[in-house]
Amino acid sequence: MSLILQDIGRRVGRKWILRHLQLEVANGECLALLGPSGCGKSTTLRLIAGLDLADEGSILIDGQDVSKVAAVDRRIGMVFQSYALFPHLTVAANLCLGLRVRGISAAEQQHRVASVLALMQLEEFADRRPAQLSGGQRQRVALARALLRDPLVYLLDEPMSNLDAQLREDLRPELRRLILNGNQPVVYVTHDQHEAMAMADRIAVLRDGQLEQIGTPQELYLKPSTIFVASFIGRPQINLLPAQSGIVTAIRPEDVHLSEEGISCRIIDIEWLGTSQLCLLDSPKGKLRMLCNSQIKIPENVKVKWSSEKEHHFNSESGHRIN
Amino acid sequence: MIQLLLLPAILLVGLVFGVPLIRYAWLSLHADSVVTGLVAIPNNGANWLRLINDQRFWQDAIQTSRFAVVSVGLELLIALAIALLLDQRWRGRGVVRAATLLPWALPTTVMALGWRWIFNTPYGPIEQLAKLFGLHTLNILSNPDITWLATVVGDVWKTTPFIALILLAGLQTIPEDLYEAFRLEGGKPRAALFRITLPLLQPYVLLGLLFRLAQAFGVFDLIQVMTGGGPASSTESLALYSYINAMRFLDFGYSATIMIGSFILLLLACILVWAIIQQSRILKGALK
Ligand SMILES: Nc1ncnc2c1ncn2[C@@H]1O[C@H](COP(=O)(O)OP(=O)(O)OP(=O)(O)O)[C@@H](O)[C@H]1O
Ligand SMILES: [Mg+2]
Repeated sequence: MSLILQDIGRRVGRKWILRHLQLEVANGECLALLGPSGCGKSTTLRLIAGLDLADEGSILIDGQDVSKVAAVDRRIGMVFQSYALFPHLTVAANLCLGLRVRGISAAEQQHRVASVLALMQLEEFADRRPAQLSGGQRQRVALARALLRDPLVYLLDEPMSNLDAQLREDLRPELRRLILNGNQPVVYVTHDQHEAMAMADRIAVLRDGQLEQIGTPQELYLKPSTIFVASFIGRPQINLLPAQSGIVTAIRPEDVHLSEEGISCRIIDIEWLGTSQLCLLDSPKGKLRMLCNSQIKIPENVKVKWSSEKEHHFNSESGHRIN
Repeated sequence: MIQLLLLPAILLVGLVFGVPLIRYAWLSLHADSVVTGLVAIPNNGANWLRLINDQRFWQDAIQTSRFAVVSVGLELLIALAIALLLDQRWRGRGVVRAATLLPWALPTTVMALGWRWIFNTPYGPIEQLAKLFGLHTLNILSNPDITWLATVVGDVWKTTPFIALILLAGLQTIPEDLYEAFRLEGGKPRAALFRITLPLLQPYVLLGLLFRLAQAFGVFDLIQVMTGGGPASSTESLALYSYINAMRFLDFGYSATIMIGSFILLLLACILVWAIIQQSRILKGALK
């Protein structure tokens, strides 16, 4: 294990904005931090980077406790949400600056910058300022800068959030190739679950500064440990049936299907999604979402069922999974 | 027509700056004094010939430039330090920030009177201090070699807050994450000052520089109240000289000539500063 967070917490004033966070990321592994806005994702990255210091717990990189080590000395490669490129410097100078302040020789600087420019296909932009680049190009420069740092850990704070949906999909394989090929732990912050599933080996779901669940994308999807994770992971959102004797039953829209022996429902609305269609049903158990093949012609009144194995059960008080 | 929207601004600027300028330029080509019965009579550039040969004009021009360059230079340095300090987060910053602005809010004549008293011989606190340390009387306001420095002190005290405010505004436009990225790159705080802060502050420094240079070059009230241009005209500014010609000698034609003459000098100085800055930028680019 190469990056370990041991029970770390961060306090602002008297309020804990992050508490009891326990994570381990292996070398070459990509962990996605996923959660709604304000749940503490950026805070976690800043603690790992050393931009803020943890108020409790410790952080280990390659077995060394770096909790008290200054950001300058932690050897972290970080891509900021805003990219944080120096606006007054050209792309080449942006990449050079770090090498220069770390006292690397001029010839070596030239060599390394040239090779990373080639790797990221940025050669033709070397003399441009950040303001003269597109969002995707800026992101590549920010990434190039992180690569040049030759870091022990990669931290990426929503590196795609400033890009349009198409570009994000195009860039994912490239990003994976570049960063995940390395032998460093990667922590990848996003609030887009598709991106998290596409990029990460494991996903940690945060909520209000606490770890809700950590596991592979499959584990999170198949065995969500809380109601929060169940409704956060998987689109369209899981159906939560009204609590009965303290138990909430949840069923994914893709597990609901048409069947003659099922319960009768009335169709309220149909959203056509291409290969599938999302039906909103009015059932005796409340409103239900059902995802089915778009070839099927849906009548006004239908009967639906699902297999009880596909049901998830949660304690309605605590929100925890019951097995 | 988007240009139409600029019309009121252009008209206003034209009215406030253009009209007096043209009027003065016109007046500088005429004799208009008690001798002519305060009627403007064309005199074929005699005013300008007189100006070129006027020792006192050139001396005042040198004195005014010296005053402007030294005060603005000092102001920039001190203001930069203050702005950097006020940009940090610390307890009581708000109070200090407000206090910093006080000199700027004070009317110049009032604060000039204050300085005149501070430098007064023999009763002012400076002289009292000098006496305490066993020094001779300094005669700050009556020694032609050093009196101008006293006026510099007054000007620096009064207008440093203004530049500090401009620079502070500039500092606050620099995103925090640039510094954080730089820290992660292994950069130390002092390196951040030279590699990030100062380059990004450059437009604001330039703005303050040109603005203040023009203002200091036209200094009038501070000098008038503190020294009246003395001793022996050693602190006399061009504006004061022009004022004396109009108000004491009632020679409006020549007064206007001095005004337009100093305006031309100021324009040349600004172009020079601008050119130097452009040049240095090109130099920097070439070194990259
Ligand atoms: N300096 C601070 N002072 C006070 N509260 C803070 C500070 N920094 C962060 N917070 C609070 O901590 C919580 C977590 O913030 P954080 O920036 O980590 O969220 P995030 O998960 O990155 O959200 P987003 O997806 O919007 O970027 C938020 O509620 C935020 O208001
Ligand atoms: Mg964030």
